[in-house]
Amino acid sequence: MNTIDRAAAIADAAQPFRSVLGPVAAEDLLAWLGAELGNREALDRWVGHGPGKAKAVAPRTILHVVAGNTPHAALQSLIGGLLLGSGNLVKLPRGGIIEVDEFVSRLPDALRATVVVSEDLPPGWLAQAGAVIVYGSDETLARFRGLVSPSQVFVGHGHKASLGIVWHDPEFVSCDGAARDASLFDQQGCLSPRVFYVREERPGFAREYAEKLSSAMDRFNRSHPRGLLTVEEKAEIANLRAAYRFRAANDLRVALWEGGGNMDWTVVYEEDAWLPASPLNRVIFVKPLPDDIARAIGPAAGHIGAVGLFPCTEELADRFASLSPSRFCPVGRMQDPPWTWHNGGVARLASLVKWVDFEPSSGLTA
Amino acid sequence: MACWRDIPCVPQDAFKHADLRSFPAHETAKTFRTSGTTGEGFGQHHFRTLEIYETAVREGWRSAGLPAGPFLVIAPHPDEAPYSSLSHMLAALAPREAFIASAGIIDLDRLRAVSAPVCLLGTALGFLHLMEKLGTEKIPLPPGSTAMETGGYKGSGRNISREQLYGMIADLLGIAPENIFNEYGMTELSSQFYARGPRGLHRGPPWARAVVADPVTLQEVGEGGTGIVLVYDAANVGSVVGIRTQDLAIKRGDAFELLGRDPAALPRGCSRAADEWMTR
Repeated sequence: MNTIDRAAAIADAAQPFRSVLGPVAAEDLLAWLGAELGNREALDRWVGHGPGKAKAVAPRTILHVVAGNTPHAALQSLIGGLLLGSGNLVKLPRGGIIEVDEFVSRLPDALRATVVVSEDLPPGWLAQAGAVIVYGSDETLARFRGLVSPSQVFVGHGHKASLGIVWHDPEFVSCDGAARDASLFDQQGCLSPRVFYVREERPGFAREYAEKLSSAMDRFNRSHPRGLLTVEEKAEIANLRAAYRFRAANDLRVALWEGGGNMDWTVVYEEDAWLPASPLNRVIFVKPLPDDIARAIGPAAGHIGAVGLFPCTEELADRFASLSPSRFCPVGRMQDPPWTWHNGGVARLASLVKWVDFEPSSGLTA
Repeated sequence: MACWRDIPCVPQDAFKHADLRSFPAHETAKTFRTSGTTGEGFGQHHFRTLEIYETAVREGWRSAGLPAGPFLVIAPHPDEAPYSSLSHMLAALAPREAFIASAGIIDLDRLRAVSAPVCLLGTALGFLHLMEKLGTEKIPLPPGSTAMETGGYKGSGRNISREQLYGMIADLLGIAPENIFNEYGMTELSSQFYARGPRGLHRGPPWARAVVADPVTLQEVGEGGTGIVLVYDAANVGSVVGIRTQDLAIKRGDAFELLGRDPAALPRGCSRAADEWMTR
């Protein structure tokens, strides 16, 4: 199969997963390839390169090691490997990921034969992979990095947290988008914000924003109810609510809005600027934007995935460059990364291929 | 209020944000602090007198049927850890000379010299350090020796099960797993709950109660149900009797089975829990 055929087959198989992947037409995938390799046919034929030509060579086999049990990372990583035409060994966490199985089963035979999925790491998988992509904790990344040989490509994606910054929104028009960002996928993804830092455009503005956000969280929850919670997750949220309820009763710098009697959503307003530990599952913090946000979030700096901005301007992105995210995007679109997103600051396809160059004989004397 | 169950519980976290004491601040004789590993500061438990606290420690120990000693303690003495309720609790049980881990260094010669049954007291992390220090050396303690371990591995990057820890203690020190006790306690309490053996259930002294409750409704769960632990500790005379802990347990008759964090639990997506890096 050539690249165009693969893109069409992948797009077809991925259609049921658009809620997770976003738009996934063949053209989206080919445009991604074109953006990263300079030419969407670079894997199939010699393409112009300086005075000569070059062809991209994908790894024969890619090992994908996926830690989280949400489908995003697994599907995106596998789709990249399929698009490149590599063989794909996919190590899933215990319990598997049903979306991955469904996606693979929808692939045509020729592509399905290039995918092997396992919940273990069979002996030999690591050695036969030309490229190793690992999603997981710093410890997991370090372990795999130590196991790959110098001839293998290694790409590690550590866990990340995301946040939003509301710079100027006197009419609170970003609240619905902020609620969407904080609610979709129940904050399980690394693009899910756990806190919105709101500039105090006037005294009390951030607190007011939190109140408006709570209404927006409630509206979103009515149309998109959250997923089921385990008793552990309920306990975490209930503990957080109990703690902040107590604090709110004693401290005017803290406020709490609780959605429903069933842990649907929670908004916490707190003036301390640090990046809070969060039980996730639609628990969102609102804090006044501190002068030096990178300093305020302390050890979390360097682990930031996306920063949602409102408004999203280049000037604001430059202002907050010290947060070192791999993505600035508008509040409301944090969960919709384009395929071209440099996840972790890495060109996800270009980092995997090697190039072979060709210089024609014409013009040279024998 | 008709029943002790009607007493509203204060969230454990409240000790970080308020001075919960039922006496004037200037009468404070002692304050214990929590370790404060999550970046939010630490919790404080104030006492007007330690008399009731120390009595609760000793009588709770006795009523749980734990050995009377002699003891060896692999944890810091209160002189080294003046804000640690655990150190103070251990000092209420064991004399100064029983502490064999001064400045964090375990004196193995004191263990090697043991000639009669002894009861080892320490934190789970302390026992783990002891195991690592022993390496392949075994110091079989006299038959009838026992141990009591407490606390978790928070902030250490370690997490092993009670079964594993007790297996290691049995292997290297010759203490049968059934003779090892786990203590469930916290800075915010004056009383302790004990469980015997790797699968033992936790029970408290007559003046304390633990209720396993639904985290949302706070109603007690049915037999075998999972919920959060609410503790009512009548020895907490200077602070708060009812405390809503952050721990999960299963209701087993009049006792509870504490649920540690399951190390095999699936990670949830790629969104990093902030406390993962804040507890380092």
